[in-house]
Amino acid sequence: MRVSYEWLKEYIDPGKSAEEVADLLTLSGVEVEAVETFGPSLPSVVVGEVKGLESHPGRSNLTLVDTDIGEETLKIVCGAKNMQVGDKVPTARPGAELPGGRIIEATDIHGVTSPGMICSAQELGLELGSEEEILILDRASKIGDPVDELLGFGDKILVLELTPDRPDCLSMIGVAHEIAALTGKEVKMPRLTPPATGPSLEESLKVAIVDSELCPRYTARAVDEITIGRSPLWMQLRLLKAGIRPINNVVDITNYVMWEFGQPLHAFDLDLLKSGEILVRRAQEGENVVTLDGVERKLTPEALVITDGTRPVALAGVMGGEDTEINDSTKMVLIEAAAFNPTSIRRTARRYNLPSEASQRFEKGVNPEAVTWSQDRAALLMHELTGGTVLRGLIDQNEAPVQETEIRINPEKINRVLGLELDKDMVVDLLSKLGFAVNDNQEGTLDITVPLRRGDVAIEEDIIEEVARLYGYDKIPVTLPRGELLGNVKSYDERVQDLTRDVLTACGYHECITYSFINPSTLVRLRFPDDDPRMKPIPVQNPFSEEQAVMRTTLLPGLLKTVQHNYSHRELNQMLFEMGAVFEAQSLPLEGLPEERMKLGIAVTGQIPEPNWVDPSREADFFAIKGALEALFKRLQVEEVSFVPQTMPFGHPARCALIKIEGRVVGYLGQVHPDVAEAWEIDQPVTVSEIDLALLCEKANLVPRVAPLPRYPAAKRDLAIVVPKEIPADKLEKAIREAGGVLVSQVKMFDLYEGKQIPEGKRSLAYSITFRRDEGTLTEAEINRTQEKIQNALFELGAVLRS
Amino acid sequence: MLEKLKELEDEARGKIEEANDLEELKTVKVRFLGKKGELTKLLRSLGSVPSEERPVIGKKANALREELERAIERREQVLQDAQRRERWEKERVDVTLPGRPVTVGQRHPLTMIIDEIKEIFTGLGFQLAYGPDIETDYYNFEALNIPADHPARDMQDSFYITDQYLLRTHTSPVQIRSMERQAPKLPVRIICLGKVYRRDDDATHSPMFHQCEGLVVDTDITFADLKGTLDSFAREMFGPEQRVRFRPSFFPFTEPSAEVDISCIMCGGKGCRTCSYTGWLEILGSGMVHPRVLEGSGYNPREVTGFAFGMGVERIAMLKYGIGDLRLFFSNDLRFLKQFS
Repeated sequence: MRVSYEWLKEYIDPGKSAEEVADLLTLSGVEVEAVETFGPSLPSVVVGEVKGLESHPGRSNLTLVDTDIGEETLKIVCGAKNMQVGDKVPTARPGAELPGGRIIEATDIHGVTSPGMICSAQELGLELGSEEEILILDRASKIGDPVDELLGFGDKILVLELTPDRPDCLSMIGVAHEIAALTGKEVKMPRLTPPATGPSLEESLKVAIVDSELCPRYTARAVDEITIGRSPLWMQLRLLKAGIRPINNVVDITNYVMWEFGQPLHAFDLDLLKSGEILVRRAQEGENVVTLDGVERKLTPEALVITDGTRPVALAGVMGGEDTEINDSTKMVLIEAAAFNPTSIRRTARRYNLPSEASQRFEKGVNPEAVTWSQDRAALLMHELTGGTVLRGLIDQNEAPVQETEIRINPEKINRVLGLELDKDMVVDLLSKLGFAVNDNQEGTLDITVPLRRGDVAIEEDIIEEVARLYGYDKIPVTLPRGELLGNVKSYDERVQDLTRDVLTACGYHECITYSFINPSTLVRLRFPDDDPRMKPIPVQNPFSEEQAVMRTTLLPGLLKTVQHNYSHRELNQMLFEMGAVFEAQSLPLEGLPEERMKLGIAVTGQIPEPNWVDPSREADFFAIKGALEALFKRLQVEEVSFVPQTMPFGHPARCALIKIEGRVVGYLGQVHPDVAEAWEIDQPVTVSEIDLALLCEKANLVPRVAPLPRYPAAKRDLAIVVPKEIPADKLEKAIREAGGVLVSQVKMFDLYEGKQIPEGKRSLAYSITFRRDEGTLTEAEINRTQEKIQNALFELGAVLRS
Repeated sequence: MLEKLKELEDEARGKIEEANDLEELKTVKVRFLGKKGELTKLLRSLGSVPSEERPVIGKKANALREELERAIERREQVLQDAQRRERWEKERVDVTLPGRPVTVGQRHPLTMIIDEIKEIFTGLGFQLAYGPDIETDYYNFEALNIPADHPARDMQDSFYITDQYLLRTHTSPVQIRSMERQAPKLPVRIICLGKVYRRDDDATHSPMFHQCEGLVVDTDITFADLKGTLDSFAREMFGPEQRVRFRPSFFPFTEPSAEVDISCIMCGGKGCRTCSYTGWLEILGSGMVHPRVLEGSGYNPREVTGFAFGMGVERIAMLKYGIGDLRLFFSNDLRFLKQFS
């Protein structure tokens, strides 16, 4: 809602600047988003009077205009034809700067020097008239006066950002009432009484409502003998400030009055409404109406229409019809002011995608009192500004008269909710300022009658808010809630997630957050077979684009997209992770809430560490992530973890594994197949992992268990063996531990070698084994015996000692 | 004899001082003081000296031995020091070379803010609560006093899954879920942090973003308590000098409702581009829980009151870290993320 401050002063004089009023409104709940200044400053454009007109000696399409600007009379060359002697016109003198930066100079135009320019409205920055048309000013304007002042340039526009509960402020009168409550000033109603001199309307028009649920009230008034034309400049300027395009005097008046009272009006050409009948009903299947925008609308019984008894002539409350539109030859006008069901209007406006100033007001609720005010006001203005004769009588079909709301409240309750200690008189005073009638019933409670314009105030809590906002939120004290202390502020899952972030960031990984929705084609690119549950994502009904069309079933697409994004920006070395939900539907379409499972996703690519002068870099591969996972499992005290080779649809055929804890699959780890990586435009190996955090939480133990420090010294022995390649490392380590028994406290593999000196098909592994006994020092002989057992166990697996 | 002794002394002292390394010094020591050294030899020739002079010479010779030994030790110390100095010098490093790289990862900036919010509110005695991203129309709207066809539904444009299910447009459904879980037990004091979704996409809106929801229900909870709680939060989050302003507003699930502004953290309230020259920045919405919401969730609005608030995590992060474009958060651009580590 745009409120011209100059216009607002018709209804209230706040005695303050526009900016001060804006602050008052904002702090009491009617937010003023901005205070704009209307129009540019045009100090060198003044009022001139046309004294004489003659043809340009060289060009017949040009006119020489004798223009009196007070100090002198200028002979100005002009291309427009719409002025007459005696007209007052905006005259730009040399040196004047027009909007857009154009500077006026004395110019030779086909042999005649023009000492200035007579301006059109558009040249002055107003969206009025056409470019070829000089703006004709009011004849009473004083010659030589600056035009910007005359046009109200410099007026302040308060741009209101209204919440949906305050449709009363979608009107100048409503805003005036709000300001009255804040300043104590009086609201002045505009003149309302039209001289009704014509014949009685009831003789020529019949109004009936079929569906009173959708249209509880319909009023009609008529004005005859009008002359269609432009509305006066002051009205056009005010509409421009409100953000409404002036059209003609009749339509402008309906809009002007809507702005005043918030009641949308519609004007029909009564002569075109041939039947002399208005019937309000639901549309019938198969009916059509061509709306004012020239579009033919197919109607259904959902929509309420105004008909002439047989055919629809308007989409009620949303848009009028072309057939009965006001046109240049309109003589007799029917003014409609009605009340419509907000939900019905909302649905119709949405359905036909026709949000309008009118539908917006009907959806949120219009002050019921404004119906007759608006009728009277519009008729009065039409009489005064179009020369029309107002017909006698207002037809008012009112099927459901609205009553004022009454609320009983205990002032103590107000204090209890707000944390205040207001006395009763204060409460009465605050509510009275808002125009609420307050009756102290002497039983400790107050009976409050809410004015009709405030349809949003319905229950005690609404009254509490009114008291609070008028008293001032800033004056309410600042305290903290008291009460019982609560334990267990963070859940176990939450703490596991926190720790997981700690470990991964300590390992050098950066956390990502990607969208929960993905492009379904990415799942195909990952080559999941059709029967894979990840291929059944939950679709979003109204996504922005295919990129966000389905809910993710895996974190992989988001992570790969992130790797791709960074890779394309030449960030070649990446260590990333994300923790977020994936969505698994039990059935599609959804019949219940889907399962949302928290997953941990990890992706690496490039070199670790980044190439540097001191430490060698290695490819960020399977073992990079495996190391981070091992650190995580250790911190969470998850034991019995195994990595089992397994092919993955999207994975490198020989570099993927399932991750199992105590035999149960919790996730996977593997290199992305080079072809799949290429589909994401990544030309280097990428390795990824995804783990079910809920399963990890089940196995995690957050409390470290501490063993006493050993009392006896340990002995370390290194053992290098050569084994067939196909024997997995975990089998060898298991053999060492089993053979060594309790005396082996630690086994660490510290070297892996293949190549020269090692036979084809074999590899060399070197272990550092720590021997220790809890009770007593181990003897050399014991260590040797144990080592021998270990070696024998390894020999059985086909190992030989490396010489 | 005494003269010989004197000659030997001079020569020995000369050689000791001339010795340039420990090896040479050792040679000098053997030559003069060794078992077959010159001093021993001299003493052996003591027999040719008159017997009355012998004790004097013997004494002198022994004194000389001790003195030379001390001189050698001193020289040894000097040479050792020099040798060590030389070794240290060889071990000199260029201290301006870059350090060994340590790869440091970092939480996402939004996680950092979420952690901070959690810390502040758990410190105020709030428990963490959770709810699903895909919600029912009931929890997202109906139970929050936003019936179908209510104009307030326009305040948030939703992503729908079916007519009945949608991506939650705010974390407020968790208010209802928490109360239902707990009713009629008191107090309820929860916060919820999570993802929410709206059909918006520009520099200040993202189709997915994060919210923090708070709810307190108990006997005698007041609007003043709401003010105090959010005042504490703003000061903890943005600094003790922060001023907080409450403005009346509208949310269907609270009454009275308030929009909360903090003094602009860029200009301190003087007015700048960030705050559109108002001196204030809007950071959250709040209010007293609407009686219909309490009632629908199992609490009697005549016996209990409550307050609720909701804020955008991205908004807080943008203000706190001076980030201009919200889309950066979800680009996960390492050039952006690495600025936080």
